[in-house]
This record gives sequence, structure tokens and C-alpha cells, in this order.
Amino acid sequence: MSMRARQRIRAPRRGIPASKTDDFETNWADLSTSLKKIHTRDASNLSFEQLYRNSYNIVLMARGEDLYERIKKLEQEWLDAEVKTRVTAAISSSLLLAKELAEVQEQANERREAGERFLAAMREAFEDHQLCMGMITDVLMYMDRFMSTDHRKPSIYAAAMALFREHVLQSPIRSDSKTKVVDVLESTILFMIQLERSGQIIDRVLIRHCVYMLEGLYESSNEEESSKLYLTIFEPAFLDASKKFYQAEGRRLLETGDAATFCKVATDRLAEETERCTYTLSSSTESKIKEVLDKELIASNISEVVNLEGTGVRQMLDNDRLDNLRSIYVLSARVDPKKTPLTAAVQKRIVEMGKEINAGAVALAQTPAAIPAPKKTSTDKSEAAKRPAEKEKPVNQQTAAAIKWVDDILGLKKKFDSIWETSFQSDHVMQSAITTSFSDFINSESRSSEYLSLFFDENLKKGIKGKTETEVDSLLDNGITLLRYVKDKDMFEAYYKKHLSRRLLMKRSVSMDAERQMISKMKMEVGNQFTQRLEAMFKDMTISEDLTASYKEHVKKTGDPDTKRIDLDINVLTSTMWPMEIMASATRDDVQLSCIYPKEVEGVKQSFEQYYLGKHSGRKLSWQPTMGTADIRLEFARSNGKIQKHELNVSTYAMVILLLFNEVATGESLTYTEIKEQTRIPDHDLIRNLQSLAVAPKTRVLRKDPMSRDVKPTDKFFFNHDFQSQFLKVRIGVVSGSANKVENQDQRKETEKKMSEERGASIEAAIVRIMKQRKSLTHSKLMTEVLSQLSARFVPDVNMIKKRIESLIDREYLERIEEDPPTYGYVA
Amino acid sequence: MTTPHEYVTLVSGDGFEFVLPRSTACISKTLSMMLDPNSKFSEALTGRCVLENIPGVVLEKVCEYLCYNEKNKNQTNVPDMEIPPELCLELLMAADYLDV
Repeated sequence: MSMRARQRIRAPRRGIPASKTDDFETNWADLSTSLKKIHTRDASNLSFEQLYRNSYNIVLMARGEDLYERIKKLEQEWLDAEVKTRVTAAISSSLLLAKELAEVQEQANERREAGERFLAAMREAFEDHQLCMGMITDVLMYMDRFMSTDHRKPSIYAAAMALFREHVLQSPIRSDSKTKVVDVLESTILFMIQLERSGQIIDRVLIRHCVYMLEGLYESSNEEESSKLYLTIFEPAFLDASKKFYQAEGRRLLETGDAATFCKVATDRLAEETERCTYTLSSSTESKIKEVLDKELIASNISEVVNLEGTGVRQMLDNDRLDNLRSIYVLSARVDPKKTPLTAAVQKRIVEMGKEINAGAVALAQTPAAIPAPKKTSTDKSEAAKRPAEKEKPVNQQTAAAIKWVDDILGLKKKFDSIWETSFQSDHVMQSAITTSFSDFINSESRSSEYLSLFFDENLKKGIKGKTETEVDSLLDNGITLLRYVKDKDMFEAYYKKHLSRRLLMKRSVSMDAERQMISKMKMEVGNQFTQRLEAMFKDMTISEDLTASYKEHVKKTGDPDTKRIDLDINVLTSTMWPMEIMASATRDDVQLSCIYPKEVEGVKQSFEQYYLGKHSGRKLSWQPTMGTADIRLEFARSNGKIQKHELNVSTYAMVILLLFNEVATGESLTYTEIKEQTRIPDHDLIRNLQSLAVAPKTRVLRKDPMSRDVKPTDKFFFNHDFQSQFLKVRIGVVSGSANKVENQDQRKETEKKMSEERGASIEAAIVRIMKQRKSLTHSKLMTEVLSQLSARFVPDVNMIKKRIESLIDREYLERIEEDPPTYGYVA
Repeated sequence: MTTPHEYVTLVSGDGFEFVLPRSTACISKTLSMMLDPNSKFSEALTGRCVLENIPGVVLEKVCEYLCYNEKNKNQTNVPDMEIPPELCLELLMAADYLDV
């Protein structure tokens, strides 16, 4: 560069030969005629270069500003003279009726045509203007560059657009009228949209172009985004009109009173407005118009729609109208993330249906109980024969009720799950709503824990026979889901324990695998603490098996020669882990003398006791004959001299009773009192066992005199040599002793009492745990902590906690530190 | 409308003609507007631009620059273009006029 810098730079040649550049007026005259030609669409003969050079020269002459002003003036004159007249001419009188909506069809048609004409004129005028100004701007580019950089003026294009706005749009349509062109334009477009909303087809493209025009024009000349005419004038008017329209539409739809229609219309309207915004108006309006729709059409009406009598959500739920539910869900979700009315309706319906199920179960449980009652009075013989069957019935009926209850709930749950998935798009708010309502009504049924446990019991005993592993799995899973809803889990645990113990001891369980699976599922669901005792029960069972085996070994070693020895199969149970109260069912008897066993059995019993205590010193064995069973072989001497052998599987007590008859000569009898004296079996158990031996139709090993259902102390019992059975092995169950059944009133009270004792203990334990950690705590904080600690197992009663605190203070575990606020301290 | 020609002709004030690809010519904003097929001016229709106030020597250099620009578009480390100092003022004016 330094080399070149030394060379002389020639001054550029001044001017261009043969140009008339020096004269502003000549240049302008040239330019203005050309510009007019452009407006009249006669540009093809014009040379761009020439025009450009004209403006270039003028600007070089430093007359740019003059040029700018003159062009503005030229444009203004053109617009005033030509364009305006053309546009106003297109406004017909029918359009001026703008404000009131044309209701008469003919008038509407006429107005529509006029409107279309006007819009077309408008569009043409604007497009012309745009095109011409585009060309003019191109030509005047040099001026524009100069003007906008040096003088901070808006480009000539913008200025011309502003002129269009002022002199065409905002000019009055008649010299004597106040209505402006733009007002007519606005009302016309709104009218068109109105037509489209009512289902007619309109010229969307035309409107779109007019909207383009409004979008391209600005309120002020600095062209701020927010001052677009579209935004300042048209959009508010449009939104306002839409608001009114949808308010009316909402009312109309509510009057027709069909929720499904409402949803459909609302959904359609939404789609329609989206389409309208895309194709007819501006997409920037979409969100705003949707807001209007949401507010006016949906939000203000949705709760009524949801609750519409006969067609609302309730109806949809009942009839599985999944599509309707989905649309109503989508609509609700638009206006309210919580979807309050919808959730409320769904919850209400779930609770209602749940209550129905509850009521159904109760009704089912009670009907059979009600029927036998009046029959007791009649002494009809045929009815007497029926009685044993009836006696079984209420028990089963109750169980059936429980199982039906669980099944119904599972059905309901499944139904709502599928609704939730397909219609509510797996929405979390809805899910929690459904969950709470389920747990509400499940917990409103006080027997829910018991029913649920019965359900498991039934299934583990019989239900899973012949089912595949996956079926069993899903069955258990279903049950577990319900368990999740049950708040009083300790209650459930108690029942489950009871049922489990029966299954284990009586070997009723179909599959130990399923049992274990169940336990592990519960463990995952509720926690370790919950299943601890259940697992301990399983452990006891295994230990007992080993024990039995080792005892047998022991017997063999000691070399007992007695071949008639009785095989002993024993279950040693840890009393704290097992629900002892159900075994010692005769708790109400004051003094319980242990039963007198026949000497053969007594011998075995003592031998085992010796063996066991020898192994584990310091333990106490207590025998639970109610839970045991025995296999005995009986010989029946038929009247024709033959001897029929049967193997009977009976309860321990029944065995004891039957063994008594060994000592009794054929044909002799024992009275009830005699049996009782000789065995010391508690009344309650004795009656039940005698019933099963003498009354139950298929298992009459004993004959009873008189033959009636009730057992009276004076009744006589005979050994029935004519016992008939097609099987060699017969199982004789104890009447109502072991069946899985709903508890009766007394038993329930008993369980509840026990429950509340247990709860009291856990509450106390929780309080002490918390206080030991915190040393001192205010009453309310202690309450919340206790509640949260225990909520996994049950919902503690606040009064109960208060009582427990009192009692702990009395026993000097806690002390009151302060009165206001009440604060407790831990006494170490 | 007829499809625009692929090449356009630039004519200098003293009668020299330069034929350029349309895309190259359109690097100049002025030229691109002049040749815009949507405007109905004669240049757009004929594809021939008469630039009366640019002499042939300068227009030659302008064309050279346009080609140079087109060739080295989107590249870095491009060698400088040879510009004779006696032409630079006139070139500057032409550049202003053509808005390059």
C-alpha cells in the first residue's frame, strides 16, 4: 500500500456527459411523470436506471429532503383523488347498517355480497398501493438510504403506508359522515366471521388479505410491533365480538342440556378458531381467542356441564363413554390445571358407586340371616331336614358377600383405571383424586380390612387352584392395590394373621409359594414391620416340621415297641406371633380345665412334652386342641355282619369323643352330660363337634336321639354302625369352626377391643420414641409426629393419643414443662 | 411472465457491454432491484442495464469485483483484489451508486 500511496490519485471525472443533471426541476418533472405512470401500471417503458439516476442526482444536489416531501405530496394527492374514491364507492348502504346484526336472511345475503365487494376493493387498493410503493421505493432507494441515515426519517415506503392509513382508512366514508373506512372494514370482517361461525362458507382468502393489510399498517410512523392497526383496532373488536358470541353460545348449549354435545361443540369451536386464526386472521390472535373461548365458553360453564342431570360426567362414567369423558377432560384441562369440577364429579361418583358396593355387601350379608329367623318358629318336618343346609348358608353367604365386595371394588377400580388411562391421559391430578375417593369409600366400610383379608384367604385356599402363575400374581396384585387404600392396616394385619394361621395349621393353603409371594408383596407395599409377624408364623411352621421329624427319630431311637403308637404331627407356635385369641375361643368360660385326653393320646402328649422341654428348658407348652386334627381308622359293623372300614379325618375334639365310644358296647349310648364329664371339652366346642358328627347329613358317624339340630344336655348319642360313605377316607369338618367367615357381632367387638389395645401400645411406643429423641416438644408438634409415624399402619384417633399422653405422664415417662404452649418433656 | 434470463448485460456510459450471470450482478443491491422480475421496469424485462454515469473502465473493475465477490463468498483468507489507485475514487462513487 505504501508504494501505491505515492502515486497520484486522479480526481474523478465530474459529471456524466449529456446529462441534464444540474436542474432539480427537470429531474423532478421526469421523476413525477414516471411515478404517475407506475401508479397507472404503465411501467414497462420506464428505465429503472434512469429513474434511479434522477433521484441519485437530486440527492447529490443536496435536495433530497425536497424530493422526499414532494413524493409524499404526490402520493397523498394520488390516494386522495383516486384510491379513496374507489374504496368509498364500494361501500354500499347495506354495509352501513353495520352495528346491528342482520338477522333476516335476505338482508344478510345482501350485506354479505356488499361486504365482499367492499373487501375486494379494499384489498385491491391496498395491494396496488403496496406494489407501486414497492417499485417507487426501489427506484428511490438512493434517496431512502440518504434520508434515513442522515435525517432519521422513516423510509418513503413507511411514510407512504402511513399516508394510506391516514388518507384512505381513516378518512370518513362520506364527507358528512363520521364513520371511517376502517370502521366499516372492521364491522364487515366481523360480520363475515359471524357468518362462518354460523356455518356458512366465506371467502377466507379475501379476509386474510385485508387482515394482512391491517397487520402491515401501523398506528404511528415508527412502526412499533405493538402499534399495528391489526392489534390496536381489529383484534380487540374481534375478541370482544367473540366473547359475546361464546357467552351466548354457552348459554344456548346449557339450555339444550346435553353434556356430550357441549363437549363436542366446544372442541369443534376450538379447532375452528385455530383454523380461523391460521387461515383467515393472524396466528398471533390464536392464543388470545383461545383464552376468550376458555374463559367464556368453557370455564364459566364447565362445572354446570359436568353436573348436568342425565348427561353429565356421571352418566358418562356409568355408560363408559370414554370419548366424551376424554373431551370433557381435555376441556377442563384447558381452563384449570386442577380440573376441580371434573375431579369433584368423578370423586363423587366413585364414592357413590363404592357406597353401593358397600351397601350391596351388607345387604347380601344380611339377607340370609333374615330368612332363617322366621322359619325357626315353624316345626314343619321338611323344613327341619333343610336346616343343616341353611345353617351352612349364612356363613358362606357372608363370605361370599365379602368376596363379592372385593371383586366389585376391583371391577370398579379396573374401570376407572381404564378411564383414567384412555380418557384422562394418565393425568396425575386425576389419579390422586381417584385414589383418594377409593380410599374414602373403602375406609367408610368398617369391615373393609376383614373383607379384604377374607378375599385373600378365599383365593389362597381355593381360588388359585388351576391358575397359572401370572394369573395368581395379578390376582394378588389386585388385592394389594386395594390394601393400599385401606388406612387401618393394623386391622388388616390382625385379620390376615388370623386367616393365615388357620390356613397354615389346617393345611388349607393350596400353595405355599403363593403364600410367600403374598407376604413379600405386602412387605414391598407396607413395609418390613408389617410382615414381621407373618414371617415369624412361617418360620414357626418350618421349625415345627423339623421338630416333628426329630421327635419321630427320637421315638424310634428310644425303641418304643408299641406298633399301635399314634403318629404325632406337631406345630409349636410362638404365642406372641400368633393370634392366640382365635384358638382359645372359649375365653369367656371362667375357669378352663384342660380337656381329658384318652390315655393313648395322653401318653404321646406327655412323651412329646418331655422331649420338647428337654430340648428347650424354661418354655411352657400349652395345647390347643381346637386347632388340631386327627386321622382315625374306624370299623363299622354293618347289620348284615360285614365290617366296613373308613378312615376319618376329624378335629382333635371329635377324635376324643369318638375314642370314648371304644369303651361303649354296641347299642349303648352316651348322653351329652356323660361325654362332657368324661372329656371336659368346653360346652361350645363340644356342641359344635357333636353337631358335625351327628347332625351334618353326610358325616353321621354318631346317631343322636332325639334327632334335632340343637344339642341338649339330655340328648343321647349312639355309634352309628350304618355310616355310609362312598369314600374310604372321609373328612369331617367342625361345624362353623374353621370355615373362613365374617365374624359375628361379638367376635368383632372382641377384635376391635384387642385392636384398640394394640393401637394404644403402638401409640405409646411412638410417643416415647419421639420424646426420647427430642427431649421436649410442644403438644401440637408431638401430635403431628405421632400421626405421621403411625399413618403407615393406621389412622390414630386424636383422643386416643391424648389419653395415652396423659397415661404416660401419670406413669412418669413424660412431664409437663410449660402450660402455654403446652409442652412435654421426657423423663429419663 | 417469461422466465428471467440467466445472464444479464451491463452497459457502461461510453458503450462497453459486460455480460454477467444474474446472481453475480445481483450482489449489487441497486442492480438486483433493477433486475427484479417482479418490478415491471424495462431493465427487468430485457435483462439489459444501461448505467450511464459509469465509464467502461470503472464498470470493468466493478464487474471484476462482483465476480471476485461471488467466487470468494463465505471464505476467509482471500487475497486482496488489485485496485489501481487512479481508479479508486471513481470506483467508490460507483460502489455508492450501485450499493455494493
